[in-house]
Amino acid sequence: MSKKAAFWIFISGTLVSLIILLALTFDFHQKVKALTHAENLSPQVLAGKWAWEKYNCNDCHTILGFGGYYGPDMTRAYWRIGESGIRYAVEKPEQAFANSFRKMPKKNLSPEEIDNLVAFLKWTSQIDTHDWPPQDRKFKLSSEAKRLVAGAGISVGAALFKDKGCFNCHALQGVGGTTGSSLDKIGSKLDKEAIARYIEDPSKVNPQAKMLKFDLSSEEIEALAKFLENQK
Amino acid sequence: MEYKSQKVAYPYFVIALFLFLLQVLFGLWLAINYFFTLPQGLVNVFPFATARAIHTNLLVLWMLLGFMGGTYFLLPDETKREIYSPGLAYFQLVLLVVTGVVALVGFVFGWTQGRPLLEIPRPLDFAVVIGALIFLFNVGMTMLKGKNWTVIQGTLLAGLIVLALLYLFGIPFYHNLSVDWYYWWWVIHLWVEGAWEMITAAIIAWILLKITGVPREVVEKWLYVELGLFLFTGIAGIGHHYYWLGAPKYWLYVGGIFSGLEPVPIILMLIDTFKHVKHRQLEIKNPLVWTYAVGCAVFHLLGAGVFGFVHTLPMINYYTHGSQVTAAHGHMAFFGAYALLNLTVFYYAIPKLKGIEFFKESLGRVGFWIMVIAMTGMGLAFGVAGVLQTYLERVMGLGYMTAQGEMRFWFKIVFSFGLIFLSGVIITIYDLLTLKPSVKREG
Repeated sequence: MSKKAAFWIFISGTLVSLIILLALTFDFHQKVKALTHAENLSPQVLAGKWAWEKYNCNDCHTILGFGGYYGPDMTRAYWRIGESGIRYAVEKPEQAFANSFRKMPKKNLSPEEIDNLVAFLKWTSQIDTHDWPPQDRKFKLSSEAKRLVAGAGISVGAALFKDKGCFNCHALQGVGGTTGSSLDKIGSKLDKEAIARYIEDPSKVNPQAKMLKFDLSSEEIEALAKFLENQK
Repeated sequence: MEYKSQKVAYPYFVIALFLFLLQVLFGLWLAINYFFTLPQGLVNVFPFATARAIHTNLLVLWMLLGFMGGTYFLLPDETKREIYSPGLAYFQLVLLVVTGVVALVGFVFGWTQGRPLLEIPRPLDFAVVIGALIFLFNVGMTMLKGKNWTVIQGTLLAGLIVLALLYLFGIPFYHNLSVDWYYWWWVIHLWVEGAWEMITAAIIAWILLKITGVPREVVEKWLYVELGLFLFTGIAGIGHHYYWLGAPKYWLYVGGIFSGLEPVPIILMLIDTFKHVKHRQLEIKNPLVWTYAVGCAVFHLLGAGVFGFVHTLPMINYYTHGSQVTAAHGHMAFFGAYALLNLTVFYYAIPKLKGIEFFKESLGRVGFWIMVIAMTGMGLAFGVAGVLQTYLERVMGLGYMTAQGEMRFWFKIVFSFGLIFLSGVIITIYDLLTLKPSVKREG
């Protein structure tokens, strides 16, 4: 190969790739508005993005999977822990993570900043990410959970308990989160109906409840309550 | 050392080494954060986020100072004239270092742009841009006045210009988070797989030329081919960052195909390095320099090529994206492709700057192997933690902190290897700063 041929490999390789990138970048700008619901980018959402950057949240938490790996991903935090969960963690991290081996700093955000941050995370939760992240997929059982139900014969309630992210806050037999209470003995305290009522809308049963109202069908609630009733 | 002005490179090297040491110390602190429960009071004033910002910005700063020092060192030799203005070179160093120190101290007090790796606040970005412009001016003028154009010079200058231009994409406040990350990667990805590759390929080509005596014609031909492939796979390969950020689905194909080919030029670079070393026409004076050069090529393939490839395909990346698997890749790739390259340059240049023809290299060799082995161990430990996280959190659906609990052990391993790595870094820095001549060649 001559040096001239090598030069043309260099030029053509670079240009082809560059043209692809620039053309697709143009197309990205045409489509990103719909994919991210840019019409919902209100001034409050933008103020929330400022707050997100001001407090350097992104160097502990990933968002869209980018950033620090020290805290959970925030893309779907609004689905996962809801507005009250976000508020609780930001306002009172010393309480929310009192039993956690990893802490979150208390940054003393103003009430307005917290509102904005919530609006921002609400907006991010509806970006079309092709169903990423897998741990926060909203409307389907993971393939792993389906296998558990079909193969090992565990109850649908147990599979749902795992799949709907209950472990994020609650623990069973020492496995799981510490934000909510441990559910090892829940069946000896509450019966199935009481559990179901609570899951359906926690704040209706207890106005002080930290737990959120999750988007669950009545069959799912029934299955979960049946599973939890047996934790004695 | 033929040209007096080459000595401006030395302070660049010394400061870069010092920042490297600091970077590793902050890295160890970050590892502690992962397995040890720190009190809330400490977390409030010095959170993980701040330490991470410092760790990563130190990385960028010492890499860039190393590249700049390396450029100033090779420039007179390539252009056959002194550097246009050594005074500007010193001024630019002071400007960048002061900016860097202000930025790092600012992070501790919460002054930040708040975007990973681009935390330097916007007012300071202007100082960085001015520093970069002075550098480009100085390098460009030296080349223009030298009127002795070579492919190595052209590649180097093009890489530096692209590097500076891409930085501009990191400065604005983007309204849409997806657009924000889209262009964030123009800085980060197109740096490490575009501009930085050009700069380091030019530098390594020059060093191979110098230590092996292989004809320039051959070295430069390979440089073209490698860079052509690097940029062909690398530029559109940016798509492997666009899978899940709110971009159209075709990126899964573009990113998967182009980045799947990314190991090819790295393999080629490794073959080429071995070839040059085999067909050398000069006696190798200081074998440690080419241990470093070959080590750089091998580790580049391992860290960037292999560890990059394993999670670049969309069906795998869906589960590994944003997990410790990325941290494993990041550490191995930066060390292999860039840290070892800078150290290769330092081991080539510093003896020349000190007028030492043959240097005692036993200590340097110890430092090299400690760093390489420790980084391999660290990368693997990060990798195991990443696989655990991927499986427990993303496949099994256990909560984030449950998975993190199972990963704690592996962060102790990361920390242990980090300590070993630190000892290698200290040995290497000590050795580089106190190089002693040896009467006979050591083998």
